[in-house]
Amino acid sequence: MSDAVQEFEAGLARLGGDVTATFAACIDENALRAENAKLAGPQGELTALLKLMPKLPGDRRKELGQRANQVKQAIQSAFDGRLAAIARAIREAELSGPQLDVSLPGRSVRPGGQHPITKTIEELLDVFASLGFEISESREIELAEYNFGRLGFPPDHPATDMQDSFFVKGRTGSAAGGGGDDAVVLRTHATAIQVHEMLARKPPMAVVASGTVYRRDDDATHSPMFHQIDGFLVDKNVSFAHLKGVLTTFLKRTFGADVPVRFRPSYFPFVEPGGELDIGCTFCRPWVEAGSEAQIARTLACRTCKQTGWIEVLGCGSIHPVVFESCGVDPNEWSGFAWGMGIDRIAMLRHGIRDIRMLYENDIRFLDQL
Amino acid sequence: MKASCNWIREIAAIDASASEMAERLTRAGLEVEAIERVGEGLDRVVIAEVRGKRAHPTKDKLSLVTVFDGKGTREVVCGAPNVPAPGARVVLVDVGAVLPGGLRIESREVAGVRSEGMLASEKELGIGADHEGILVLGDDDPGKPGARVDEALDLRDEILHLSLTPNRPDCLGHLGLARELSVLFGEPFAPRLTLLPSKLMSVLPEAPRGTAALPVIDSGTGHSGETASLVAPVDGVPMVAPIHIAAPDRCARYVGTVLQRVVVGPSPFWVRHRLHTLGQRSIDRVVDVTNLVLLELGHPIHAFDLDRLDGHRIEVRLAREGERIALLDGTERTLTADDLVIADASKPIALAGVMGGSETAVRPGTKNVLLEVAWFDPRSVRRTSRRHAIHTESSHRFERGVDPSGIPTAQRRALSLLTTLAEAVSSPIGVDAETRRIANATISLDPDYVRSAIGDASISDVESRTILEGLGCAISPGEHSGWRITAPLHRPDLTRAIDLVEEVARVRGYDRVPTALLRPEPRPEAASSRALLVRQVRRAALATGHHEAVNFTFLAASDLTRARVSTEAVALANPLSEERSVMRTSLVPGLLANVSRAERHQRPRGRIFEIGRRYLPGNGPTSVDETASLAIVAFGARDQWLGEGPSVDFYDGKGAIEGVFASLALTVEHRVPANVPGWLHPRRAAEIVLRAGEDARVIGHVGEIHPDVADAHELVTRPVIAELDLEPVLVALAARAPKQVAALPRSMAVVRDLALVVEERVSLSQIAHAIREAGGPLVEDVALFDLYRGKPIAEGHKSFALRVTYRDPEATLTDARVEETQSRVIARTSSELGATLRA
Ligand SMILES: [Zn+2]
Repeated sequence: MSDAVQEFEAGLARLGGDVTATFAACIDENALRAENAKLAGPQGELTALLKLMPKLPGDRRKELGQRANQVKQAIQSAFDGRLAAIARAIREAELSGPQLDVSLPGRSVRPGGQHPITKTIEELLDVFASLGFEISESREIELAEYNFGRLGFPPDHPATDMQDSFFVKGRTGSAAGGGGDDAVVLRTHATAIQVHEMLARKPPMAVVASGTVYRRDDDATHSPMFHQIDGFLVDKNVSFAHLKGVLTTFLKRTFGADVPVRFRPSYFPFVEPGGELDIGCTFCRPWVEAGSEAQIARTLACRTCKQTGWIEVLGCGSIHPVVFESCGVDPNEWSGFAWGMGIDRIAMLRHGIRDIRMLYENDIRFLDQL
Repeated sequence: MKASCNWIREIAAIDASASEMAERLTRAGLEVEAIERVGEGLDRVVIAEVRGKRAHPTKDKLSLVTVFDGKGTREVVCGAPNVPAPGARVVLVDVGAVLPGGLRIESREVAGVRSEGMLASEKELGIGADHEGILVLGDDDPGKPGARVDEALDLRDEILHLSLTPNRPDCLGHLGLARELSVLFGEPFAPRLTLLPSKLMSVLPEAPRGTAALPVIDSGTGHSGETASLVAPVDGVPMVAPIHIAAPDRCARYVGTVLQRVVVGPSPFWVRHRLHTLGQRSIDRVVDVTNLVLLELGHPIHAFDLDRLDGHRIEVRLAREGERIALLDGTERTLTADDLVIADASKPIALAGVMGGSETAVRPGTKNVLLEVAWFDPRSVRRTSRRHAIHTESSHRFERGVDPSGIPTAQRRALSLLTTLAEAVSSPIGVDAETRRIANATISLDPDYVRSAIGDASISDVESRTILEGLGCAISPGEHSGWRITAPLHRPDLTRAIDLVEEVARVRGYDRVPTALLRPEPRPEAASSRALLVRQVRRAALATGHHEAVNFTFLAASDLTRARVSTEAVALANPLSEERSVMRTSLVPGLLANVSRAERHQRPRGRIFEIGRRYLPGNGPTSVDETASLAIVAFGARDQWLGEGPSVDFYDGKGAIEGVFASLALTVEHRVPANVPGWLHPRRAAEIVLRAGEDARVIGHVGEIHPDVADAHELVTRPVIAELDLEPVLVALAARAPKQVAALPRSMAVVRDLALVVEERVSLSQIAHAIREAGGPLVEDVALFDLYRGKPIAEGHKSFALRVTYRDPEATLTDARVEETQSRVIARTSSELGATLRA
């Protein structure tokens, strides 16, 4: 046997030893790779051994070559096994490691808070839209003709006291003592939408509009600027019973199907018959266990409904023929109904806001809560 | 309006309880807000007769009064100055009683003398306003010693607090309420009122000349003669006062009646008590009678001191411009030629239907009175009341419409009360000046219309008829079909068929109206409502982290100046305060106020937006342009994960705008502004350009607030603020097409970093533009990833670190092509902008 064969076989015997045990002693990936390089790397023992191949006698070369290959594969497989084991151990350590502090703040772009007024308006308009009404809007600074005259407010009538108005300087009207159709006012209600729509197109129509309105009132429960949703419907053969049906449906969808609705007469110059719709107080809920001691105590302590159990939510009525006439619509052919509701108080009810001033101060600590 | 249930029951046969009345009235549209119970808690208070009085042994101010309580006598200590002589009746509160105010009466020693009860004042008993002394009953007041005071004086009552709508003047008096309640409870209505004067002067005078006058109280028909005692007139005092109506369109009728020998003194207890429970102050017998008639009939009347009328005559005329009058409220007013006045021969003596003058007012010592019962034009009274800002019980009723047919009733009721209470002697003749008769409205009504308008086929003709007749309507057959209805004059609100429909629905009760549903026809044009587009903008601003504000749209003119926004504002003629006297021309002042508030409340950081209208003087029927605007403010420290970041700057504002428009899928650019608005920092602001297709227009500005504006608002932070016109944005949103998507590239991109040093004046957009120009279509993206100033970069220079992405969509880029392109890019930035590669 030549020296080369001897040396080669000795080398194979060394390398073919227990590599698994050798690798097992490596505790991390770096140590494993270093050990592997020593055995099978370009500078390693196996590479050095294979350089002897040309010196081997031809009749042994094939057999020894195959054995060397087996050794190489054994090393590779032991290496792969150990590498996977180390990775697994690291993963296991990660998975059983310390619990993250989930109470640290998250990173995000927080959406802002929507103002209760616009939020309430959007939601209520959506209910009307689902009942088939179109959403529209109109101007805030308005001719008295549209705000009062064409809506059937008699000139110099106390009905206008209900809606004491702001006049624009220089446009206080040409009527004796001020006022008159050419006066320019901050609209006292969003009702002029009826006039604008009926002058612009032919019935049938069903429209709802929201908007900022103004009255000369400033106290604990009134703000000189506030918001309303007004709507109306004109079609053939519309009766007072339709008004009751549609608006009751709206209130039940908005405030809950179980909330009772009360309908009583009232007066607005542009509707007749005119009425107001009340809902059961959503704070003390007098219809829940009605008549029980608990319910009576709840209602007697309720500031929201002033112990009455009812909250006024909207004024309404059949459209007065005078409004049709002033808009060139024949009241013998067409009929309809209209309503208007203040939004501020509903927004306050929904959000538990006790003080109306909070609505317009825009205190960031208030907005933060929305 | 307050109404006494007792009084209503005196007038009409209604036996319902107060709460039944309240419930029924509210259901019929006459809202009762509260029921107040009066005269309660007086069950141990009795009428007592004074038997003797002696001084307290030690205390000057106290007296010891012996009273008889119906069973026996006892002595009480009393501190009042008005203990009456023996024989008079007072009110004794028994030991152990608790008064309505919570005061408990006990048997106790007062300065060494035991007091067995207490003599009480009206106020202590809660039955009147007087607290000067104890209540002493007059000879004409009822009640025997020992009788319970609440029973003897009829103190128990329930007061309805009504909130009436302005269309129902008829219910501003107890008579009208009694009529309404009779209808609501289905009772016939026959009012019980005593109308006849008891003392008449005996001699008929000559009819006064020069006026349209006729006698209304005729001794032949007006009086039975049994109740009238005939008394001679006082010499030198006229029995009639001539009345001339010079403004017939303002005053349809004026009845003046002379009363002689009036006794002007305190009213009896029942009058004081009745007025007190209805919230009125008792003045004297004559004035109290006018107030009783007002409350009872809803018809305001007035009494003049006849001896103070120059010429003993009345003229109803318009005031002369600048004429002055001193009024009962102590003020003096300068009148206009649109004010209707009552005048004597020389001067105005009352603002017609609003308030009397002080000079001719009834006072202690008044002997002869002229009583006015009239009908004034509602619009005239209202204008005068508004012009002089005087709102009275009288103007309240006249401007809503007083029943013109009720004048004789009011006159005869007042005379009856004055002749009994004020012991006056009435002239048998009132001068009745009537310029025109106010006609009843006649209305055609088809009972089918009642059913169809209400939507209830079950309402029978009989039911409608019963309701309308109960309200005072007269019904006769119509010309062709249906009914011809004559509306009563006490209901000026009934003029058309629909008014009568409402009456039927109202009296039946709206709870009996059936419910029916209908569904409006959808209209295709209604799809892109402006309100819904505004909503998209709101969503975008909220999504980018901004709170929404809703500010007042009116503010002080100084707010505009301080914020340096346009002061060309729409001003209000009648603001509530200077603070809210002009319409905003910009949303900026409102947001600055919000920032200021946040800073004051230790919350000096945040992001807020507002969507609202600006009001600018303009064209159109109102001469005002209202346009929608969006404003955004960011202030204080920037958000970061932990703690606070550095203060926001221009780029936070720009980023907010970019964020909003990105989520709206609209394209905006920021450019160095041609004109910087006054509220922005002149060097740290940009104009916002909305790009829609080929069209590009400046819609607003964004930037750091001008430091002087920040100082003027005493701000600690330097907010970044933007305001832009929403109108073109809404147009663009409505026209916006869905976003188009390009195919994804198949070839790989090559990314090269590039650090270029340039002078400060060179902008990123110039560099990026040069790179794109030089690189042509291969340049896919140019992104800045670092901006550096300082050593070793020379002073006045900066270094842009840029990442340029090259891609050929058709083929894989070779290194050689990239290198060649990048060299061209570098050369171009150097030649065009003087950029050098950073070493
Ligand atoms: Zn409640």
